[in-house]
Amino acid sequence: MIEVLYPGLHSSIQDLGRLGQQSLGVPIGGAMDQNAMHWANRLLNNPKHSAVLEMSFKGPKLLFHQSTTMVLAGADMNARLNGLLIPSYSTIEIKEKDLLEFGNANRGKRTYMAVAGGFQTPEILGSRSQFEGITAEPMLSKTKLIPFDVMKFKPSKGARISPPKAASKEIIISVYQGPDFHLLPDKAKNELRQNNFSISIKNSRMAYVLEEKLVHQIPSTWTAPVIPGTVQCTPDGTLIVLMRDAQTTGGYPRILQVSDDGLNCLAQKSTKDSFQFQLRAV
Amino acid sequence: MTNGQPFRFFMMHPKIVILEWESEPSDLLLSELISFQKKILSQVKEVIQITQGYCSLMLFHKNKIDNIEDYQVRLHRLYTSKYRFTHKKGKLWQIPVCYHEDYAPDLKSLAIQLNLSPKTLIEKHFSAQYQVYFIGFLPGFLYLNGLPEALKIPRKEQPNPHVPRGSVAIGGKQTGIYPMNSPGGWYIIGKTPYSFFDPNNKEPCFAQAGDAVQFQSISKKEYLKLEEQRIKGSLKIKPL
Repeated sequence: MIEVLYPGLHSSIQDLGRLGQQSLGVPIGGAMDQNAMHWANRLLNNPKHSAVLEMSFKGPKLLFHQSTTMVLAGADMNARLNGLLIPSYSTIEIKEKDLLEFGNANRGKRTYMAVAGGFQTPEILGSRSQFEGITAEPMLSKTKLIPFDVMKFKPSKGARISPPKAASKEIIISVYQGPDFHLLPDKAKNELRQNNFSISIKNSRMAYVLEEKLVHQIPSTWTAPVIPGTVQCTPDGTLIVLMRDAQTTGGYPRILQVSDDGLNCLAQKSTKDSFQFQLRAV
Repeated sequence: MTNGQPFRFFMMHPKIVILEWESEPSDLLLSELISFQKKILSQVKEVIQITQGYCSLMLFHKNKIDNIEDYQVRLHRLYTSKYRFTHKKGKLWQIPVCYHEDYAPDLKSLAIQLNLSPKTLIEKHFSAQYQVYFIGFLPGFLYLNGLPEALKIPRKEQPNPHVPRGSVAIGGKQTGIYPMNSPGGWYIIGKTPYSFFDPNNKEPCFAQAGDAVQFQSISKKEYLKLEEQRIKGSLKIKPL
């Protein structure tokens, strides 16, 4: 068990989400940066869907009630174990009563913590990912205990890699054409290819609203399926990039679809960060 | 129609295909969409999930699709193949709704805008039968078709940040029930004690695409009684 002394700004248990439940209107959900999640689990020899702790912007303060092995990946939150700085992308041995504290995120916005065997919070509709109305709690809260397996899996001791290039530094987000891209005027298509776009203050696990607008006359469409990474364009030209907790259907034209890599990169960006779209063929 | 084909085939992602029909939503198209989904799920083993909109389907695949052209031809053949599923008639659900002003904050203003009395508005709402087209937006949110012409109204300019769960509302050409607390831009005209989404149930939502829904006007007293049963877990929902 881990005791949450302070939950951080927005921390939640996440795995790869609830693919398979979307015809009930259930969002897919899952870790925002699945590349970082992958490395955290991989260094522990965990199965790839093992639940991790996702920490955004400012991390939590945690007290371990059991010994385990853990790995941090993604943004750097100056994690301190009993007061001493510890590295990311490296297995760390944890003893009972160890105190783990995180600060503000650098080189990205979201940090992932995996423990040997993965977190064992209740699995609901095939996933442990926290979401309002599905799991008992929508995110991590104070005094909660997070259960994990004690050494059910044998972690690979001493496993580490040098931290990959920070996803937050990547300014190219690769995208595919969305089903309504062809309806855009040429000017708007060129702007999508050439201009810089930046993330507005309205950004969450559900969607990022961009600052820049696009002039177009595409009418709203009959409500149709959307997925994480779908870029919608509202009647006034506002661009909305749907993120992991996106709803399952929407009525705005779907002009782009962010690639899997692009979505993981965007997960490490936040308010005021800018980037360029790069269109590629499916 | 696209290139003489019944639907448009669009690759949105290496693992995701969108099929889009150019017609308006209709009960006929809905039954085509439902039966095509069944065909695909039984015949195309690469497809792991299908989601539905008014005039489109989204196919999720286990792996990257290799030969896109072949796949497109295969889906078109499957669509037009004689092999049909016996289309089971959807169920009919009666949903109790309390239209009492305590649960209907927008009833009066909506009635004025529609130039109807609140009583007529309510009667028109519960006299119609609605078809469940699909579930989306929120877990357990039914997209219902069949709102009487006289009740159609553009959605509110300022969305309400807190619509309570169970609220029955009208917006655009549609009516719907909020399965959980949520922001919303529709006019709230009543409340149902029924739960439209319970993640701990084997079937989290009792209704599905192809079913039909009818509203039944209940008093505040009846509402409170049913609400109590729901909280206790003794409220059983059965189709008519």
